[in-house]
Amino acid sequence: MNLRSSWALVKGLWLSWLQYRSFFFILAFGWMIPPLIYMLVWYTAAGDQGLAGFTRGEFAAYYLVLILVNQITFAQTNWTVGDMIRTGQMNQILLRPIHPIMDAVAAEFAGKLVYLIFDVPIVALLALLLQPQMDFQALNGLLFIPALLMAWALRFFWGYWLALLAFWATRADALLTLQDTLMFLLAGQVAPVALLPGALQTAAIVLPFRSMVAFPVEVLTGRLNGTDLLTGFAIQAAWLAAAVILYRLVWTRGLRHYAAIGG
Amino acid sequence: METPIINVEQLSKTYRVPVRAAGLKASLRSFIRPQYDDIAALRDVTFSIQSGEMVGLIGPNGAGKTTTLKLLSGLLHPSHGSVEVAGFIPWERRPAYLRTISMVLGNKSQMLWDIPPADSFRVLGEIYAVPQAEFHQTLDELVDLLDMRELLTKPVRNLSLGERMKCELTASLLYRPRVLFLDEPTLGLDVSVQLRLRRFLADYNRRSGVTVILTSHYMADVTALCPRVLLIHHGRLLFDGELAELARKMAPFKQIRLNLDTEKNNGDLPLPAGVDMVERDSNSLTLRVPRAESAGITARLLQTLPVVDLTVEDPPVESVIDQVYSGGEL
Amino acid sequence: MRALKLVGCFIRTSLQEEAAYRANFWISLFYSVLNLGSGVLGIVVLFGQVESVQGWTLPSTLALLGVYLCVTALRGLFIGPGLDSLAGMDGEIWSGTFDFTLLRPVNTQLLVSVRKWRLFSLADLLMAAAVLVTAVMMLGVTLTAWQVAAFILTLLAAVLILYAFLLAFAALVFWSPGVMFTWVFDGLFQLARYPMGMYPGWLQLVLTWVIPVGLITTVPAQALTGTISWAALAVSLGAALILVAAASILFRIGLRRYASASS
Repeated sequence: MNLRSSWALVKGLWLSWLQYRSFFFILAFGWMIPPLIYMLVWYTAAGDQGLAGFTRGEFAAYYLVLILVNQITFAQTNWTVGDMIRTGQMNQILLRPIHPIMDAVAAEFAGKLVYLIFDVPIVALLALLLQPQMDFQALNGLLFIPALLMAWALRFFWGYWLALLAFWATRADALLTLQDTLMFLLAGQVAPVALLPGALQTAAIVLPFRSMVAFPVEVLTGRLNGTDLLTGFAIQAAWLAAAVILYRLVWTRGLRHYAAIGG
Repeated sequence: METPIINVEQLSKTYRVPVRAAGLKASLRSFIRPQYDDIAALRDVTFSIQSGEMVGLIGPNGAGKTTTLKLLSGLLHPSHGSVEVAGFIPWERRPAYLRTISMVLGNKSQMLWDIPPADSFRVLGEIYAVPQAEFHQTLDELVDLLDMRELLTKPVRNLSLGERMKCELTASLLYRPRVLFLDEPTLGLDVSVQLRLRRFLADYNRRSGVTVILTSHYMADVTALCPRVLLIHHGRLLFDGELAELARKMAPFKQIRLNLDTEKNNGDLPLPAGVDMVERDSNSLTLRVPRAESAGITARLLQTLPVVDLTVEDPPVESVIDQVYSGGEL
Repeated sequence: MRALKLVGCFIRTSLQEEAAYRANFWISLFYSVLNLGSGVLGIVVLFGQVESVQGWTLPSTLALLGVYLCVTALRGLFIGPGLDSLAGMDGEIWSGTFDFTLLRPVNTQLLVSVRKWRLFSLADLLMAAAVLVTAVMMLGVTLTAWQVAAFILTLLAAVLILYAFLLAFAALVFWSPGVMFTWVFDGLFQLARYPMGMYPGWLQLVLTWVIPVGLITTVPAQALTGTISWAALAVSLGAALILVAAASILFRIGLRRYASASS
């Protein structure tokens, strides 16, 4: 798998996805709405005095970054992998000399780029309107990058192994919707994790969902002190390892099962 | 001569299609100042059809056949000209008109997918306000004619293509329309089902006097069912009459097939003038000869060639039509 | 009347189609519960941090959620499925079977609006009613006859406005067949989950005058909690009628375009 062929793969996907950009822009629009709503609600609730340690501008900053991070880490694997298995296209992909996971990775680059073309101008416009405030420290900026990359990888592998369940069950929709709801509640969308009530907050910190979206946002917006940063990274790394292990396990088992039933 | 049920005069349909060139600059240019092409799908088509006729509408892909059917059924508005069907103007889409016509689209289904056909029929009966007694009688008749009683209770998604087409035909005739438009009804069906459906259509036309306009790419459909054909090519009506007459006009030729004695066949065959060789293999020969001279040439061939067997016949309809489609003059 | 008989036939047939897939019932129930749960939790988390936002408290916001769920349930019951089968992902316009619908001797707009029913939505309606009742009990007021009447009228207006939007967005498909306009509406409609008062001023104006999505949920909620004026009631009913008329005209123009431009 050399650089040139992977670039060709990405470019090919990019051109074909650009054709359907109105379709993808509408998707991106749909994904943007829930964090947008909560941003506006918290923004209004904070008013002039602020609320629970956040000023109006800080709510705006948190959510604007969240919109972008959510978009970058969003798992498309249900389509790029799940659907492929269901429609039998996986057979073709298994025949290629490239490991099938590269197909999904290439789709990630191409897709995210198209979505961001839509998202960034809107986020910029909202920033003008809402005047976000952020206590930006260079260290946080540096730490943001690994946090974001690990968040992407975690969400990707987590989504990948779940999508691989298509090897056994024809419809994993219910499971995915459940995950969406948990993501919504625990990944920092309905409220920044610090604002969640007791039990929900503990659940959020322990489960992988916060590490997938909210954690990098919290790093960048400077909301975490030293210990919190360390524990956050540790939890994120642990879940990433677990996701990769699950992926390998389900992949090998799944392939065996797939081949056994005739693909 | 009674008034025709379908009267079409100078019917024309032109589409404005946006011109879309490739590349980013061209896209931007066409966004600011869009350019259009006028595509003439139909030009000055005139014909009339009597009640009870079965007419075939033939022509190559993109000739305007489906456009004609859609104009007759009121799905499209014409750019020019007039159409009258059963005393109505189609595109006014009066409910009374829509109850008089019916359409079957070859590769599209109007059946509800997950439930048995009987239920789709019931809904259609309700939509077309068919009185209960009449509905049951018509349904029974059609089910018997098409031999599909066991299909009535199977969900449509479990039926084969042929079985589904039987359902489509039944659905289209439940309310006893006076005019039936069939757009490629035998598309994708196997030969035996095609035969059954042809027999059904001929039968039903005889019994009920329904006027039928049929388009099909299978010449066998047209030859079997339609004494009259309308040939449309590049949007114009090129021919209106019997298929056999079209063949005679287009191809004043006869085809002679010979089986030769292989022992005496030395590879060099002296053919008389004016004879074209269509096909040749190790012991047979197919020739095309002008109709008027076929008798004389046959005699010459029998004298000069080691003939074991000889047949004189009309050229196949397909090759005639092919000639027309590829620009042959009429 | 014949129209009623026809609708009855459609309901019966839709029930048959729904019953063809048994698993769907449990999955749909699961989704509905998740949707309800996350909606309620969102409100609970918000009001865990603050007593009231611009005059809206937990009970009154919950009432608004109840209205949202109610309107969504009614949409899912009959107008939604019909218009979706016309203009949605696997719709008739996309697959080319719209011609059959045009050939029916029934008004096309009426036909596409009432031909498909999703009776499961009655369960959603029950859940919405439960939320409404809970909210009203939490408010601790006894409803006057006037409040109930105003609520029913504004709810009717809300459903009409929703219908107008869905019809208009479906009509747009006649011009651009590939674009999923209903998804755009779905995104915008999410904004109706929260009272308009919780959004910044500029957005409130947009949601009242440009895309009156706000009218759909905020006005009935106000009627129920007793804070509505005569003027607002009249405006919402008037807006409903005007919007339905406008959407119907757009639909008719769209049909004409389909009839002259398709081949």
